[in-house]
Amino acid sequence: MSEGEQQVKLVSSDNVEILTERKIAERSMLIKNMIEDLGAPGEEAIPIMNVSEAVLRKVLEWCAHHKNDPTPTQDDDADSRKKTTDIEDWDQKFMQVDQEMLFEIILAANYMDIKALLDVGCKTVANMIKSKSPEEIRKTFNIQNDFTPEEEEQIRRENEWAEDR
Amino acid sequence: MAKRAREKSDVDGREEKRQRSSSVDRFSGLSDELILRVFSCLPVSQLVVCERLSHKYRSLAGDGQLWKEHYYNRFVRPRASRLPGLKDSRTTDGRLSFASKASRWLDDEHLVGQGVRTDWKKQYKLRHNWTSGSCAVNEIEVAEQPAVPPVLVQMHNGVIYMADRADGLRAWTAKGERKILAQLNFPADCSSQPPTTLAVDTQCADSGIQRVIVGFQDGAFGIFELQLAGGTRFVHLFSHEQSSSGVLSTVALSWPYAVTMTATQRLSLYRFSQPKPGPRHNILDPPRLLHSLKSHTVWPPLSTSLRAATGTITITIAYALPTYLSGWTVGIQEVKVASTGTFLESRLASAVDQHYRPLAFAVPPMLSHLVAPAGGSLATSTTLELRHIHSKPTSLSYTHPYLLVSHPDNTLTLYLVTSTNDTLSISAGNRLWGHTSSVSGAHVGGRGKAVSVSKRGDELRVWELEGGFASSAARKRLASGDISVQIRPESTTARDALPQAGLDLVNRSLSRSSKRARHSQGPTDEPELTLTRGWIGFDEENVVVLKEHSQGRQALVVYDFT
Repeated sequence: MSEGEQQVKLVSSDNVEILTERKIAERSMLIKNMIEDLGAPGEEAIPIMNVSEAVLRKVLEWCAHHKNDPTPTQDDDADSRKKTTDIEDWDQKFMQVDQEMLFEIILAANYMDIKALLDVGCKTVANMIKSKSPEEIRKTFNIQNDFTPEEEEQIRRENEWAEDR
Repeated sequence: MAKRAREKSDVDGREEKRQRSSSVDRFSGLSDELILRVFSCLPVSQLVVCERLSHKYRSLAGDGQLWKEHYYNRFVRPRASRLPGLKDSRTTDGRLSFASKASRWLDDEHLVGQGVRTDWKKQYKLRHNWTSGSCAVNEIEVAEQPAVPPVLVQMHNGVIYMADRADGLRAWTAKGERKILAQLNFPADCSSQPPTTLAVDTQCADSGIQRVIVGFQDGAFGIFELQLAGGTRFVHLFSHEQSSSGVLSTVALSWPYAVTMTATQRLSLYRFSQPKPGPRHNILDPPRLLHSLKSHTVWPPLSTSLRAATGTITITIAYALPTYLSGWTVGIQEVKVASTGTFLESRLASAVDQHYRPLAFAVPPMLSHLVAPAGGSLATSTTLELRHIHSKPTSLSYTHPYLLVSHPDNTLTLYLVTSTNDTLSISAGNRLWGHTSSVSGAHVGGRGKAVSVSKRGDELRVWELEGGFASSAARKRLASGDISVQIRPESTTARDALPQAGLDLVNRSLSRSSKRARHSQGPTDEPELTLTRGWIGFDEENVVVLKEHSQGRQALVVYDFT
């Protein structure tokens, strides 16, 4: 059995054991480092403390689809993300979940250190913000406005130069 | 207090998620780091929308790192790829443009390092406004009466210097609330004649003082020091008595050296001895005359600069040069003198020597002269235009390696100067089109940014001339005409509402400025007669133009890009 097809056992925050391929699990730098530290994968279960079963399964679904992607180098973080919010089709479909799951995925990707998934999540949120008015954005996310109308108008005027014309 | 309570409920909300999912603000529940990550995917126009969401998002969307990224992507990286040598290293490490070495090359080191916290959003806005040409306009009234000769103006490090006979030497701050910093009447022993030329020492290392030199009609000159620390004031350092050589046409100062040039083209180089320690308001000892030269080829408009290195002093004079057949071109002379006063070397170059190609339509001026009377009614606009092309430049500005000349025929010409140990040469000129009326003044800065103004003062343009036009990409930009942008003063009501306490200036847009001029001077005043004599200067944040209204009132117009 090659290293990639080894099975690893993950335990979610609500104590559910999930078996998956080592190669899939190692999309997560957190798990990869843990496996390296433990030395004997497959025998000991790896606890993923902050992620519930439903979210962990969703994250692993993404990892399975992207298991053969080239691993990004640590340094090109700033460049690889660029200014674009383009998301490939499969990821876009994958992210068609309710807001609760979307933010859980972002938190999980951040915790499990899966940069590419975190980027997809952040881009999805950015796309929800794009070309919306402040009021529409607040509505989308239930953000509470703590500005007076005058204060908000003042900020709008200050930033008029940067608006799209 | 209320805010904290809300954030806590968000955390609770995540834990008991399923029940209250529709009313919970999950986005705000993310850490600041994650919100910033989301914001980093947004364009500038959407970032400013996010600032309006709430106090929390206002500070997050104004984050320096976000704006720094946008600043580098829009203004620094494109330039880095234009500069030879930087491109290759950039591809191996994408983050090089953040490094100090690149910053130094790109002359942005004042933004990074020096322990100063840079407001990147402010910097971005500044550059954005330069690129789009939008700015606020302020006028500073400088003289009610026409001054003869006109008020002299220079600008350096955010300070505008003015010299005229009635008000002596004045300094204004160009930043923020444009107020007068210091004023000093010319001392009696200085000169009774009007000042004719003014220069600032731009290489002064001490940030607390700036030195200026003023030349007078009778050949006298004076050195003054503006002390910025502890109550800004001018201190009179030295006066040189009048000389028989006549009017000083240009001066330059690079402490302790000073250069003067008379209208009869006598160049003199002086060195001051360092002031003795002790009370500073002593008049300095007279300087030593290190060298004196006379030129027969230098014509105004001209520009002198002075560079002092250990052991040698280099004087550079850029000037307009009449040529026998094709009108005017430019020349440059470099004189090297040892600090002891020994003449070392003098080099000359002009823009015609090697690269001279007569333009296809260039009729020699002499010929058109002969043809015109014979043709009579045939003197069309074309021949008129031809004569203009061969007329004398209206202004000349030289900041190595850029030499920019403005013409009365709506164009400018850019030359690139090469100065090495072995050679001094000037490239063939590139004509810059864009103005729709006669150009009376232009000024070029160190990074190839230039500003030009039309004679009637109604048209200002900002030019990006970095790197010249040697590369094909730059030629394309030249041909497509997108190397310059017209300055469009904005008429914001917000700015008008700002208090401008105790200042003799009014905020207004250009169109409204003419309206006001008419209002204050009666119906006879035609705003079209507002003229610029050609002085124009700029720094990182402002463009300053000296304008003259038809009845001789003079005003400094400050175009503020912040």
